[in-house]
Amino acid sequence: MTAAALLSVRGLVKRFPGVTALQGVDFEVRAGEVHCLLGQNGAGKSTLIKVLSGAHRPDEGEISWRGEVVSFGNPTAAMRSGVAAIYQELDLVAGLSVADNVFLGHELSTAGFTRRAQQRRRTRALLDRLGHPDIAPDRDVGRLSVAHQQVVSMARALSLDGQLLIMDEPSAVLDPDEVRVLFGIIRELTAQGVAVVYISHRLAEIREIGDRVTVLKDGRTVATGLSARETKTSELIGLMTGRVLNNVFPQRKPVDPAAPEVLVVRGLADGDRFAGVDLTVHAGEVVGLAGLVGSGRSEILETVYGARKAAEGTVEVDGRKLRRGSVGAAVRAGLGLCPEERKSQGLLLDQAVYRNITVSSMSSFARFGFLDDRAERARSTKLTETLDVRPAGVDRVVRGLSGGNQQKVVLARWLLRECRVLLLDEPTRGVDVGARSEIYELIRELADSGVAVVVVSSDVEEVLGLSDRVLVVREGRVVHDGPADEIDESRVLDLVMEGHAA
Amino acid sequence: MTVTAKAPPAADERLSKPRLLDQLVVRPEIGAMLGALLVFLFFSVVTEQFLSLGGAATWLDDASMLGIMAVAVALLMIGGEFDLSAGVMTASTALVTALLATQLGLNVWLALLVSLAFALAVGALNGWLVMRTGLPSFIVTLGSFLALQGLNLGVTRLVTGSVQVSGMRETVGYESAGFLFASTFQIGGQSFYVSIIWWVLFTVIASTVLVRTKFGNWIFAIGGAAQSSRAVGVPVVRSKILLFMTTAFAAWLVGSINILRYASVQANQGIGLEFQYIIAAVIGGCLLTGGFGSAVGAAIGALIFGMARQGIVYAGWNSDWFQLFLGVMLLAAVLVNNMLRRRAERVKR
Repeated sequence: MTAAALLSVRGLVKRFPGVTALQGVDFEVRAGEVHCLLGQNGAGKSTLIKVLSGAHRPDEGEISWRGEVVSFGNPTAAMRSGVAAIYQELDLVAGLSVADNVFLGHELSTAGFTRRAQQRRRTRALLDRLGHPDIAPDRDVGRLSVAHQQVVSMARALSLDGQLLIMDEPSAVLDPDEVRVLFGIIRELTAQGVAVVYISHRLAEIREIGDRVTVLKDGRTVATGLSARETKTSELIGLMTGRVLNNVFPQRKPVDPAAPEVLVVRGLADGDRFAGVDLTVHAGEVVGLAGLVGSGRSEILETVYGARKAAEGTVEVDGRKLRRGSVGAAVRAGLGLCPEERKSQGLLLDQAVYRNITVSSMSSFARFGFLDDRAERARSTKLTETLDVRPAGVDRVVRGLSGGNQQKVVLARWLLRECRVLLLDEPTRGVDVGARSEIYELIRELADSGVAVVVVSSDVEEVLGLSDRVLVVREGRVVHDGPADEIDESRVLDLVMEGHAA
Repeated sequence: MTVTAKAPPAADERLSKPRLLDQLVVRPEIGAMLGALLVFLFFSVVTEQFLSLGGAATWLDDASMLGIMAVAVALLMIGGEFDLSAGVMTASTALVTALLATQLGLNVWLALLVSLAFALAVGALNGWLVMRTGLPSFIVTLGSFLALQGLNLGVTRLVTGSVQVSGMRETVGYESAGFLFASTFQIGGQSFYVSIIWWVLFTVIASTVLVRTKFGNWIFAIGGAAQSSRAVGVPVVRSKILLFMTTAFAAWLVGSINILRYASVQANQGIGLEFQYIIAAVIGGCLLTGGFGSAVGAAIGALIFGMARQGIVYAGWNSDWFQLFLGVMLLAAVLVNNMLRRRAERVKR
């Protein structure tokens, strides 16, 4: 292997308003190697890929490509140089054929007329090279399986003579057989001298396919050039997690063993993503669900809430069974959900703060069908003061608030409704570190007031710090259920990642 | 390649049966074709004149004027945008031509050229505004629709003192331009308007561009996923502006046919037609959300319009019934198209 690096990155810094996503990333990729990027959620992996593929411009630092300092102004420029990223949400156009997608933006054409036959032939050859002669170049991309779509994305990267492929958690959407095929493709490509930057949470995969590993944490490179096969698991996990504790979690109160069971879930299954989920939450208890993205944890919450219909199992609140697949029944029984996609699912972004708070309790503000605007504002003002929503003012439009304050508005909504069970999906996503502790504090206060709380988070530290009890979800099954203080971060990560040998 | 070239046909043959059916079902124009056939058979049976050459000449002409626009609007819709100013634009272009020729004594050919430049400029402005502001084209072109409507009436009244421009017959070049845009040709002793040829020609060109060229590919791509298209290097802004200019061009063509055929134009012409274009395109299989549709489908959508509008006249019914028919037709077409698409999607994987 030549010592010369194909791509090398030094001192990369990327700032977003309020957050520094990357604060000093260094690593280099050699031709023909599979270089793995490892790091917890929020470590900066996604930002790094976007910078490398030209989607973001770095604020500081330099990227060298084949020994020359470059700046990719946009993804097209990066692709033309031979750097192609294959994102999880694939950049394909459904409705166009496989061949049309492969050559979209760089069509083979004469006088504007597409040379379809030639594109088809070239696509065929690329797909053959990728070990997929079964994908017809004429087929509509929207009608392919996700795994096949990924192959098409790779074919596109190769059609541009890609020398470096960046793959963002490609295995997240694949089943084990498909992962095996993917690894076969990767091995073939690297044998031909193509370099691959491979991102995954799954240690077993990294051991199998990776050559070297770079570990990112809090936007920084903490280790680079480690051997993917020989580095100990404990060392890798230590590097990923061993951060200075920057989140302060509120004091837990021991849960009263005599406290009533508020939420009881038995044998819940949706017939697809998860099965056999049992979950009991007492009044005043915070239960955390830990698991990888795609493990089924969000789906479990949504099914409990009735937003997805359960195939099997029951959900009881205060001893009363809820009708399946009915959000209305769930809300009436006292359930509240703060969804992961706060902006698209949880908030009326262009409405005032007070309207966002009262929207789930409208009937209590209505008199003869008319809303009592003044009462709405008064109650909302009191709540926002208690929660310290900044900047103050209930007439402010929610869109203008920071992530943390938006989350407080969602919490205020459920406080107002005095719900019995609060389901929180990634409560601190997009919330900066400073505001996190405040959110944690609020969640704990809610629990102390007798609410049963369920928290889903990709951040293991958060789940452990916040919860009284922790459930670990892997591939749609609960694989562990126990008190939070009897398990540590590396054990959770072990459980979460275990059994991913493809 | 020769080795692999041998293998695929065998695999393709195995797959060809379901795939052929699938492909037929997902053809955007399949619903419109069935509809057109039904309407054709219905009026052929119910009325006498419908099937005669004279009858056909009438409904084909009606369909052609709508069809030219519907095809252009379909391209734009596949590209993910609307143009509500398309209807009034047919009047604006006719007015520009007529005013220049009758008031300034310009040669009709020159007037037509200026009018074309005007149309393309308005189209480009529409597109540029939509892309620049990021506002929905529905709103932006609603604005230009109203602005053009006001301009048409205001300028016409200012210059002529009335709301129409006439007297084209006395202008220089009227005969030769008329030959190109408004003459008739004979088939079996029946004269047909040349607009029908324009319609067919425009449909063929539009369909060729859509299906055979890389620009056609881009139209589908920017309508289906503008973000992804941009990411892979499709010139989204340029392509969309070009599409707005295409509808403006079609409006100029229809406006020119109108002014040279009737030799006069009303300033309030064309209002309300914009929705007929969209309806024809939707009947022809275009999705309101973009990324899917067909030029031929839109042409067939216009044909259904023409046949129904004239068929109702031949049947001796009150033309009030046309709107009812239109509504039912639109809903039926959309439901059928939707059903077929769902069905096609179920075969996924």
